[in-house]
Amino acid sequence: MLDWKKEIRQRLADSKLEPAREGEIVEELSQHLEDRYQQLVTGGATTEEASHAVLLELADSELLSSELRRVHRTIHREPPVPGEQRRTTVLHDLGQDLRFGFRTLFKNPGFTAVAVIALALGIGANSAIFSVVNTVLLRPLPYKDPDGLVMVWEDATRHGYPRDTPAVANYLDWRSQNHVFEDMAAVADASLNLTGVGDPERLEGSAANASLFSLLGVAPQLGRAFTAEEDQPGANRVVVLSNRLWARRFGADPSIVGKQITLNGQPATVVGVMPSQFQFPSQDVELWVPIAFTPQQAASRGRHYLQVVARLKQGVTLGQAQAEMNTIATRLQQQYPQQNTDLGAVVVPLHEQVVGDIRPALLILLGAVGLVLLIACANVANLLLARAAVRQKEIAVRVAFGASRWRLIRQFLTESVLLAAVGGIFGLVLSVIGIKLLTRFIPPNISQIKAIELDSYVLGFTVLVSLLTGVIFGLVPALQASMFKPNETLKEGGRDSSSGNRGNRMRALLVVAEVAVSLVLLIGAGLLINSFLRLRSVDPGFDSSNLLTMRIVLPDLKYKEQERRSAFYTDLIQKVEALPGVKSAAVTTNLPLYRQGNSTGVEIEGRPAPPPGQEIIITTRVISPKYLTTMGIPLLKGRQFGPEETAKMPGAVIISETMAKRYWPNEDPIGKRLTPGRNAGPDDWFQIIGVAKDVRQFELNADPKPQMYLPYVQADFFAPRDLVVKTNIDPIGMAATVRSAVWAIDKDQPVSNIKTMDEIAAESVARQRFSMMLLAIFAAVALVLAAVGIYGVMSYSVTQRRNEIGIRMALGAQRRDVLKLTVGQGLKLVLVGVAVGLVGAFVLTRLMVSLLFGVGATDPATFIAISVILVGVALFASYIPARRATRVDPLVALRYQ
Amino acid sequence: MTYIGSRILDRELKKGSAELLILSLVEDQPRHGYDIGQLIEQRSQGVLKFNVASLYPLLYRLEKRGWIQGRWIERPTQRRRRYYRLTADGKKILAAQRNSWLEFVQAINRITGMEHA
Repeated sequence: MLDWKKEIRQRLADSKLEPAREGEIVEELSQHLEDRYQQLVTGGATTEEASHAVLLELADSELLSSELRRVHRTIHREPPVPGEQRRTTVLHDLGQDLRFGFRTLFKNPGFTAVAVIALALGIGANSAIFSVVNTVLLRPLPYKDPDGLVMVWEDATRHGYPRDTPAVANYLDWRSQNHVFEDMAAVADASLNLTGVGDPERLEGSAANASLFSLLGVAPQLGRAFTAEEDQPGANRVVVLSNRLWARRFGADPSIVGKQITLNGQPATVVGVMPSQFQFPSQDVELWVPIAFTPQQAASRGRHYLQVVARLKQGVTLGQAQAEMNTIATRLQQQYPQQNTDLGAVVVPLHEQVVGDIRPALLILLGAVGLVLLIACANVANLLLARAAVRQKEIAVRVAFGASRWRLIRQFLTESVLLAAVGGIFGLVLSVIGIKLLTRFIPPNISQIKAIELDSYVLGFTVLVSLLTGVIFGLVPALQASMFKPNETLKEGGRDSSSGNRGNRMRALLVVAEVAVSLVLLIGAGLLINSFLRLRSVDPGFDSSNLLTMRIVLPDLKYKEQERRSAFYTDLIQKVEALPGVKSAAVTTNLPLYRQGNSTGVEIEGRPAPPPGQEIIITTRVISPKYLTTMGIPLLKGRQFGPEETAKMPGAVIISETMAKRYWPNEDPIGKRLTPGRNAGPDDWFQIIGVAKDVRQFELNADPKPQMYLPYVQADFFAPRDLVVKTNIDPIGMAATVRSAVWAIDKDQPVSNIKTMDEIAAESVARQRFSMMLLAIFAAVALVLAAVGIYGVMSYSVTQRRNEIGIRMALGAQRRDVLKLTVGQGLKLVLVGVAVGLVGAFVLTRLMVSLLFGVGATDPATFIAISVILVGVALFASYIPARRATRVDPLVALRYQ
Repeated sequence: MTYIGSRILDRELKKGSAELLILSLVEDQPRHGYDIGQLIEQRSQGVLKFNVASLYPLLYRLEKRGWIQGRWIERPTQRRRRYYRLTADGKKILAAQRNSWLEFVQAINRITGMEHA
């Protein structure tokens, strides 16, 4: 009797069935033939005759295999039929693949660890950054229909303020004349001193129109908002508390509404408490009072201090609103040429206003993490490729046993998706930690942001990224594996040496890509680090060491008269300077680098008043005599303020270098006179007594504008509020003592913003530090990943070439030669990658110009230095496996097949 | 020409009717492939004959369509065999095919009968 199974199998060879299915069919058909054979033999036929007759049944074997192929292919074309077999087969296969996948992953812990780490780094960084981007850029603002909300600014580009805070009269005209906004509301900073409950405290508050709350569409969680009647002078002794202040200072007292508190020495009735997510115009604001313009305020076009928010009418576009505001602004220009010449109005979506500053940095970071993920994927793909090459024999065997191409692809995909999933889980853990770290470094001035947390968006994003990663890098080895010819591999008798030229090329390509992408990232990071270092080394114009600062805002009501204020400051400075450890003390209206401060229009004696629109606007600080000494601001010419300066006019003024150069280019400014503001009487002149070095008043990366200092005894239009103390010892250690000195004078006087000048300087570059740090981290990760990639490829290639190296060494090659050979191979790849990366960086770094300071986007020094570093690291990564290659014992290498 | 023509007719007829034959045979009880082949041969008194290459692809196709369902069944004295039974879907198809086959045969009979007459 013949072996029926064998006969059938031969004839089914072409049908390419799945192995399991083929087994069943063979079993079933062989039984048929067996039955037939038995029947024939029982019927009296000889065994030969019977065998012959039975084989005739298989005569049409081509038909059989083609029919079978058709039947099994039609499965995919036919619509799903109720039969459950199909699903169970796929599920069964999937289960098998999963089990097999886990087994292979566990069997190669080194490979798995490297791949998972690479992915976790890529995915973790991705979801951490995405969480930040999501919170900052994507998540809508916590207001009703936030898309319709805009900010409206005065456009004073002429004076360097493209988005300037509007003057009250302008705002009121906008409000009454426009047809595009449903409503407009103005807010202004209002610092309020809270007394009467516990320690006196200075609170950041906001004076707001009554309509602000309804315009934003947020209702108080307790009580009510202001009424229009309360938004009138005299009726405005009411206050709405923030949730934070309510909890912090009033123990979340549910019966707070209706109670009176003392603000700036006056009673105010609490009418409501806002929910915690309401943070308008910034997260620092702890309470709101009615803005209640007085008639004088309402007529003023000279003082620009409002922030105006508006809601677009249904169907009105941003462009239409801007056009209407342009018309109104033009009309106001003609109507009030004195104050409004060259003054425009600009409409900015609220969301853009909130995130505008940080957007470029975040988008660049997002791009950077994308690149890191790419490198991670390339790395894993590389590892899988190398492994696919090693597993060629396994695949060959499976193909020979009838595994279909599709089946192999599926198995490889399962494996890599599994890997990606494990990487994704670790990545998620990493991103939770990453977000914690990131949150700590987020610059505090990005308002509207409370907590950045991992939410479902991010989770979805991570899952998507890790699955996509799995598919992307799973496909390459799977396709490669399914394309090769099992016969050839099996025929090679297990010699790996010549396996897969295509695989080698692919791996080389991946290394080149990895090097190129990391170079781009490294150069980007290099440029940012470079910028940051330059920013930090900018001379701010003062010496920030050992300076303690605190804010002391005197309440208007209690310190109404200039004499009282002066007495307070004089007394305070005397008391503080008497403290041990204090070198000197001074007060000023605004410390540098706080991004706040006043400017004044100035007229110079003997010169015609500048035409409207060309006023001389000077950054102005009102200071106490020893301010320049205390801050370490060098005096270039003349003298400082001293006891000579009394309340009697004419006054004295110290101007900055830039101001001197700009307005007295070829003369000595000392002795010249000027007056701040218009309508100066004959006694309002200030004489220039000194020239001081420029100070970066707003931020380090902005060139100093012309600036001047006025003594507080003479300039009563701005009240000093910042105390600065130069100490001999650690300044922050003096904070409590200095504060007691304040309270010794006025026990109800709040003290806030206790910081060292170094801290203020550091905060002023927090955003730059944030971007730089993140990009540097990514670049470091990229560098590590690229090094791992190069190492992996080189050690694989060395293993493959063990035979060749053995022969070379047996023939007398020296270690040096072998090293040169193998390291040279790696170097070639790296150099190609560097070349590609340089081109990429050249193109891409232009996108980050807005983040750079003092460095060109194509700074040659950075480009060269980073390339050298990368080549160095790459050389090291390929040197290790190369050195191992030289330790090969020629005999062992030759024997090793 | 005639020889080839009749062979083609033969094959097409067989293909058209084969599904009906198999469905009918497994209607009352589950049967294995060899059994089905034997029954077709016996009941048609040798006129219709399926070999392995034609019978099994047909069985698999019917199974894929969900009209019959195959299942390995082990009996104490035998090796396991694959038995096919008619599914609910198969029952509906069988009824429909029986009807149309009947109409077809009657039509042929009427035509050929009239021509002979």
